[in-house]
Amino acid sequence: MLRCFTASLIFFAGGACGALVFARDDSLCRKVTHGLALGGTVLILIVGVAGLQGQPLDLLLPGILPAGGGLALGLDRLSAFFLLIIAVGAIPSTFYAIGYTRHYKGKQSGLGFMLNIFIPAMMLVAMSRNVLTFLVFWEAMSLTSYFLVMTDSDQAETCGAGWLYLVMTHGGLACLVVGFLAMSQAAGSFTMSDWVHAGAGPDARVRNLAFVTMAAGFLSKAGAIPFHIWLPRAHPAAPSHVSAMMSGVMIKLGIYGLIRIGFGWLGQGPGWWGVLILAVGAVSALLGVLYALIDSDLKRLLAYSSVENIGIILLGVGAGLLFRSYGLGALAALALVAALYHCLNHAAFKGLLFLGAGSVLHATGTRNMEAMGGLLRRMPQTGAYFLVGSLAITAMPPFNGFISEWLTFQSLLLSFRVQAQFFNLVFALCIAALALTAGLSAACFVRAFGIAFLALPRGEAVESAHESHWTMLTSMGFLAAACLTLGIAPALVLRPLSSTVNDFIGERPDLAFNWSGIAASNGFAAIDPFWVAMILSLLMLAVWIGLHAMRANFGRRYYETWGCGRAVQTAAFEYTAAAFANPFRRVFAFLYRSVEETEIEAHPESRFFVKTITYRHQSRTIIEDSVYAPIGAVVRRLAAKARTVQSGNVHSYLLYILLALLTLLLFAR
Amino acid sequence: MKLLFRKILTSPVVTEPGAPPPDPGVELLGSAIHDEVRKRFGRSLHIREVDPGSCNGCELEIGGLNGPYYDLERFGLQFVASPRHADCLLVTGPVTRNMADPLKRTYDATPDPKIVIAVGDCAKDCGIFAGGYGVVGPVSAVIPVDVVVSGCPPSPRSILAAILRALQARSPEPAH
Repeated sequence: MLRCFTASLIFFAGGACGALVFARDDSLCRKVTHGLALGGTVLILIVGVAGLQGQPLDLLLPGILPAGGGLALGLDRLSAFFLLIIAVGAIPSTFYAIGYTRHYKGKQSGLGFMLNIFIPAMMLVAMSRNVLTFLVFWEAMSLTSYFLVMTDSDQAETCGAGWLYLVMTHGGLACLVVGFLAMSQAAGSFTMSDWVHAGAGPDARVRNLAFVTMAAGFLSKAGAIPFHIWLPRAHPAAPSHVSAMMSGVMIKLGIYGLIRIGFGWLGQGPGWWGVLILAVGAVSALLGVLYALIDSDLKRLLAYSSVENIGIILLGVGAGLLFRSYGLGALAALALVAALYHCLNHAAFKGLLFLGAGSVLHATGTRNMEAMGGLLRRMPQTGAYFLVGSLAITAMPPFNGFISEWLTFQSLLLSFRVQAQFFNLVFALCIAALALTAGLSAACFVRAFGIAFLALPRGEAVESAHESHWTMLTSMGFLAAACLTLGIAPALVLRPLSSTVNDFIGERPDLAFNWSGIAASNGFAAIDPFWVAMILSLLMLAVWIGLHAMRANFGRRYYETWGCGRAVQTAAFEYTAAAFANPFRRVFAFLYRSVEETEIEAHPESRFFVKTITYRHQSRTIIEDSVYAPIGAVVRRLAAKARTVQSGNVHSYLLYILLALLTLLLFAR
Repeated sequence: MKLLFRKILTSPVVTEPGAPPPDPGVELLGSAIHDEVRKRFGRSLHIREVDPGSCNGCELEIGGLNGPYYDLERFGLQFVASPRHADCLLVTGPVTRNMADPLKRTYDATPDPKIVIAVGDCAKDCGIFAGGYGVVGPVSAVIPVDVVVSGCPPSPRSILAAILRALQARSPEPAH
């Protein structure tokens, strides 16, 4: 166990060194760094699986970080489960990168170096056991991911995205530091597990303060609304395998932190902790999918969809917190199982979708869906995998999204056991929000797949598109297989998960399952994913046989698409992404507040002959307008005022030094 | 509100008296078509009306088929908006230059088995438009026609009869 863990670190260290040693040779550097990272992530998988089976790992190195009580690492089931998530996201992503990063000329060294720090940093965050260790690795994770986002730093868009990400992540870090220090101070210990002993701990005010600040910190990493603004910028800017890892894995560590504070480090909290998280979850899920629905940048769409899925996960976590404050341990465990299952699922299908989007970007050179179309014929395998990912993320059986969303629904529906009308109302609203989210996300991915992969090419770039490198296809195949397996055999995950939540809630989830089926709360609801899958495939077979039995006409005649008898049909006649989203844009106009402009240029001879029609629309996000824009304005104003201090006059600088010295002498006695 | 009530109370009955009882011949024709359609097309016959240059006289009569007097939907006949859904094309008027190609495309887009009925004198032999500079020719010059209905315009009843003739003219086996 320890050997495996050490070996994994050695692999990553080797990868990082390799990136520096082979900096001159792009091809060699690419293979060495990503190969070693792949080895390291496979070892993470082994450590994670072993940890889930209950093998502990405790490591205290007092010599490193002595100020914070040494480097303390540990592995319990929850950490091990997140190690598993890291591995599921990172194994295909690193393998994918071998083929994908071929065109990153001269950037291999930096890319490989940062990747080989980023992945172990995520692993060590999940294993940290004291404050300083946690913060150090958290920061390492944030900084390396920042550098990974900045790979294409020669583009202005990327720089803006990176800057915003840096600001948001450090704002989050500041919140975390406040919470961590408040609790450490009050509890007198830097070890998180010592903060709350049975029955005794810091008083409620400190814990509430710590919960709010730390939740804000973790939610900003998770990308929940209103802290989501970095996500839709950073994900499209980053290389796709990095997006897959950031969206599939890194934001889950925000959820990890939230589960830790809500169910462990801060002890049992009041009901409003749960309501807060539920509200954030419901808003994130709904707004996330609504923004995803109208975006025509494929990767930004996926980023918004990550916001949505984080919302769904938060609904599970919030429900768990609320149930726990009402002493319904088994239900809390069920809700948490749903949330954790969705974390794993999201790592699989969002990873798959980002890798798919990466392949499309690699082949066509564009992220704009309006310029795609007809990709299924040119890249059939990528298209098939993207379809699997779309089905999984829209919670279609037999894929994995269905199971975790079903579990989330059941845990929310079981809320009638809470005897408090206000909370029942909150739950009812959350159920409605989740149902609406599920429907809208289906519309969103019908649009994403339909516009990008079906019909005729809308641009020249697409016509020369090619199928991806075999490493990229293999990685996507791996994730597609994972989506199917997790959807057909939920017991694989539910068994270790119920032990996991049992470890820190003290009760097993209100859930019965065997190799094929699951039943929530003593027959309240039951489903048999394996047989659902079987019946679905048998039904397809039955339809085929039935059609033959009815002697249906299978004669085929190939003829052009019916275009009302027009002589010339071009791709301009196709349904566009903007047109598909337009009904939603109209219905939710109060939310998008979009500005539309239509310009019609007529022929100079007659206004009945139209030369060109230009349609533009732009949507703004309420959160950015009403929260971030005022903050930005205030900061800018303060900065303008502060500039007067920096006068450029050496005499005034000398005066500042003198004043600083005097102040220090006065106060630092 | 007061205005509304006054209006309701003072307005005379504005509807017309009921139509005379339907022509028994139409009923007979309709039920014969219904039986033929059941045999040959399963349940119903979907019709696409194509106008490659008509004066709209024939369209008025075809529109009459849809009205309450003939009400052809009760016999399982239906007008549809796309040749992709249609079993039968009703083509009216002479075929003009601009519409010859769309007519051909419409014919090609209609799934087999299909029947084509040329409605009206113009569709039959270009009628008064024969020899016009913009006229390609009668419908049969562009696509194969099963049945021709004469008349300028033909009555709805003769159009129904033509549909029946076209159905009977097809091979007696059921659609496959």
